[in-house]
Amino acid sequence: MDKTKLVSGIFFQLTPKKEAFEGRSGKWWFALLILVGLALAFIAGLILVAVGSNSGMGLQVVTGTFIIGFLVLGGRAGSRYVVEQGVVTKKRAFAWFIGFCLITTIAVSVASFVFLPASAFDLWFVLVTGGFTLGVMVIVLYDFYPVLRERGNPGLAVTAGILLVLSIVYMTFIAYWIVPHDPFTLDVGRPLAPPSSSLPFGTTSLGQDLFSRTIAGGAIMLQVAVVSVIVCFFIGVPAGLGAAYRGGMVDRVVSLLMDSIFAFPGLVLAIAIAAMLGPGIINMAISIAVVYVPSYYRVIRSQVLSIKELPYVEAAVVMGARDWEILFRYVLPNALPSAVVILSINFADAILTAAGLTFVGLGFPIDVADWGYDLTAGWGVLVIGKWWLMTFPGIMIVLLALGFTLAGEGLSEILTPKLRE
Amino acid sequence: MALIEAKNIKMYFPVQRGFIDSLFKGETTFVRAIDDVSLQIEKGETLGLAGESGSGKTTMGRLCVRLLKPTEGQIIYDGEDIGKIKGKELRLLRRRLQFTFQDPTSSLNPRLSVGNAIADALKFQRLGTPAERKEKAEEVLEKVGLSPASSFYDRLPHQLSGGQKQRVVFGRAIIMEPEFVVTDEPVAMVDVSIKAQLLELMLDLKKDLDLTYLFISHDLATARHVCDRIAIMYLGRVIELGDRNQVYENPLHPYTVGLIGAIPVPDPKARRSEAIPPGEIPSPINPPSGCRFHPRCPKCMEKCKTEDPEFREVDTGHSVACHLF
Amino acid sequence: MTNALRIQDLTVEYKTRRGVARAVDRVQLSLEENRTLGLAGESGCGKSTLGRAIMRLVPHPGQVAGGNIYINIDDDIPCKKGDIPKGEVDITGLNEEQMRVLRGKEIAYIFQDPMTSLNPMLTIGNHFIQMIQAHNPEIEKEEALDRGKEVLEGLGILPERVTDYPHQFSGGMRQRVMIGLGMVLRPRLLISDEPTTSLDVIVEAQILEQMAELKKTFNLTMILITHNLGVLAQTADDIAIMYCGRIVELASTENLFEAPQHPYAQALLLSVPDVTKPNKKLVWIPGAPPDLVDPIPGCMFNPRCPMAMDICKTQVPPLIESETGGLVACHLYGGK
Repeated sequence: MDKTKLVSGIFFQLTPKKEAFEGRSGKWWFALLILVGLALAFIAGLILVAVGSNSGMGLQVVTGTFIIGFLVLGGRAGSRYVVEQGVVTKKRAFAWFIGFCLITTIAVSVASFVFLPASAFDLWFVLVTGGFTLGVMVIVLYDFYPVLRERGNPGLAVTAGILLVLSIVYMTFIAYWIVPHDPFTLDVGRPLAPPSSSLPFGTTSLGQDLFSRTIAGGAIMLQVAVVSVIVCFFIGVPAGLGAAYRGGMVDRVVSLLMDSIFAFPGLVLAIAIAAMLGPGIINMAISIAVVYVPSYYRVIRSQVLSIKELPYVEAAVVMGARDWEILFRYVLPNALPSAVVILSINFADAILTAAGLTFVGLGFPIDVADWGYDLTAGWGVLVIGKWWLMTFPGIMIVLLALGFTLAGEGLSEILTPKLRE
Repeated sequence: MALIEAKNIKMYFPVQRGFIDSLFKGETTFVRAIDDVSLQIEKGETLGLAGESGSGKTTMGRLCVRLLKPTEGQIIYDGEDIGKIKGKELRLLRRRLQFTFQDPTSSLNPRLSVGNAIADALKFQRLGTPAERKEKAEEVLEKVGLSPASSFYDRLPHQLSGGQKQRVVFGRAIIMEPEFVVTDEPVAMVDVSIKAQLLELMLDLKKDLDLTYLFISHDLATARHVCDRIAIMYLGRVIELGDRNQVYENPLHPYTVGLIGAIPVPDPKARRSEAIPPGEIPSPINPPSGCRFHPRCPKCMEKCKTEDPEFREVDTGHSVACHLF
Repeated sequence: MTNALRIQDLTVEYKTRRGVARAVDRVQLSLEENRTLGLAGESGCGKSTLGRAIMRLVPHPGQVAGGNIYINIDDDIPCKKGDIPKGEVDITGLNEEQMRVLRGKEIAYIFQDPMTSLNPMLTIGNHFIQMIQAHNPEIEKEEALDRGKEVLEGLGILPERVTDYPHQFSGGMRQRVMIGLGMVLRPRLLISDEPTTSLDVIVEAQILEQMAELKKTFNLTMILITHNLGVLAQTADDIAIMYCGRIVELASTENLFEAPQHPYAQALLLSVPDVTKPNKKLVWIPGAPPDLVDPIPGCMFNPRCPMAMDICKTQVPPLIESETGGLVACHLYGGK
């Protein structure tokens, strides 16, 4: 690979083979347009917003994250380049790349402490997280997209979903530096003012700027979703693995427990647990996790049950493998893909459930910007014709859930084994 | 002295029942997969174990490598009852007894490169360093005819053809240099044009490593080309055992006669023998009384319906369980 | 003699993600009435696809990309969407409704897997009633059942077992039921795809014998698809050997086993173990068949062929008459 190709490779592999685009349907082009268009429009919109930021540093923050993002991409492209040149092995190059990312992080942190005023110390966190999110986005385009494209339409859906989600994550990370008004300042405008040129999404009943609140309101929901899904995964997967592999009484008892949880209507159960535990991110996450653990358990259990009957597991026994070696080397790697699929679909469910919890008043107090909260408030005033308060946070929730669903469904289509041609 | 000896083996599997069903009914019914089998396998020979599906031949093979524990009876390997061995000793025993499965595709972990699949055997036994294991695995890959080994080492099973996968399976079985290998239908799933190649590989490995084989097959034509002695199984029993020429040229048991007569011969001029036994192999849950073959036997006598024939030697090395002899 | 089946330049392609795989490549074939043709070859050679193409049942994503399939029909067949005239009919031009009428009545197909081809919720008798009434609604249930019993008896199944469900039958019995269902409408052409592959040798021998009996009484023309040359030696009149979607040799059974012409057919016969010849030295064919998505020019067998010449690498050999009266597609013959 020569240098020009390396450069063009950085720019989203702008030199794919011609036949990649030949014979594609109109639908495919439409999907591609939406995929690239949505992410680009999102980022462009954020830059526009950043120009008129309340903190006065929006543009600088965005620029900073972009620099970090492209540094990360450069590092990735470089590590791939040295692998293709045969200088180092894949593993070594990956280690270099991780090291490079660490050094970047440290450099940014140090620079923040040295150059920024004391009031903006926490900016380094925003720069690093936002920058790396952006970095991951471009790496997805650079690294995964050509691979995923081979997988046809599901690949496209996965890429689109991941990009959509990452855009929202990026927005959330840098939100406080780019919003035009502080999301908590009261009486920015008249209470319940309709959308206008100065306040594009209107105001809340306390006169807060809804536009700023919409940009900043994803943090809670994302945290709840991530924590609950992780909790689910790390309870459901080991439980399924253990119960199915052990079998017998253990399996019966755990299955009975999981089935009884499964029998409850999800949201009602989550509400009951959330009411018991009280507000808070972790508590909300736990109450959502309880609802979704059985779906992981069931999928993993049925997978393991069929895998453990396969000859390759028995072959491992004949070789003298210990139980844990069989579990982790032969059973788990083959059962995990289906759990990963559940995981990505589960994100969307978790977000909707979190929205539901806040909606019934088990969410957060007024001093936190949250889509779910605004949604609830908006519902109360919808009847008097104040439609905007409910609409904009609602759209964001839908977009986020859509991103996760696209990624999850696409992934499940790719990973589900089909008839070999 | 025999390398491995099965003494009066019985293997009963309980019939799977539902949870609620098991609460109410007291008695469990059993599938009598193996019902009183005694076998001796001499060092260095290839013993064929043939029969129809449901005859218990695969179960027998699994018992011999301690994938199953017999319900009754003993399997003596090198003077030790392998049914009693546990834990660390069992792991050490695994080095000496190996098993290859019928379907090469499902007997390889789809997410493990073939080199690692082979090296895993050493890893589980805690033999050597990773580098040594890799070296040894490459050596084995070459030995089973997958050369150059370095180009095969990192491939995943789905990137190989059926015959190549079966070679990997053989490689995995021989890397620990075992003494005894049970091969369960090793060529049943591969195309006929490469069958002979795999059989030759098996025989080469046997010569190189001084192996003893238990060759399980329903394909008697193939078995004739590889085995030294042949045991014919029917419904959990060995009904005839002998030198391959004795069994094929002078089959004694009416079932063996029918089984050999039913093999399709690739020669249009060959006449099919008329003595194809009617009906099908009965359920091993409730085997017939007396001789298990009597409902299908063309030479059935009164005695056969009630009395179980003894398995006895009628000629040097040729035994049969039939009242006719 | 009339031809029960005539295939002209039939090509079947599978559109896969990697490209187009030609599973059946310009196959020419004609089959006289009342004969049994064996289609042999290794897995992936296109023999099953060819059989299914005759039924117009090529599984997705395959499709017939060209060629014609003619079958002979004695009488005009009424059909809601255009009657089918008697004589030679090109079934590639028929619509789905016309095909539905033909399937089962004129051409029947016996699938490989007897475990999943029967509806577990229906008794065996109901299978027969449905099958018969789908084509002849005027036939009463009792009569349909009687016809079913008659066929089953010929296959060695007691008539009173028609009230049983499929799960009460063993694999061999189910395969017999499948064969009975294929034969009960007395089709002219019966295609059976590996009918005995999953069965044990004794059951296999029983079924093949019974099929041969029924074929005689019903005047069937039969195509038997199998990889087992031993089975074909015992049952087929003619044998076509396929390799990579092409017929490489077609000869009468005696001639094929006596004097195979094509190098592939020769090697294939030498690789089959024979229980009556313990001293036969088994040979094998080195290498593997080429990738159908990325086919090689010339004769598909040339990289594995011990007698390959330069011409084999560039030109596809035509199917010509061989010295033994059959057909062969090899550059060794034909005086070039």
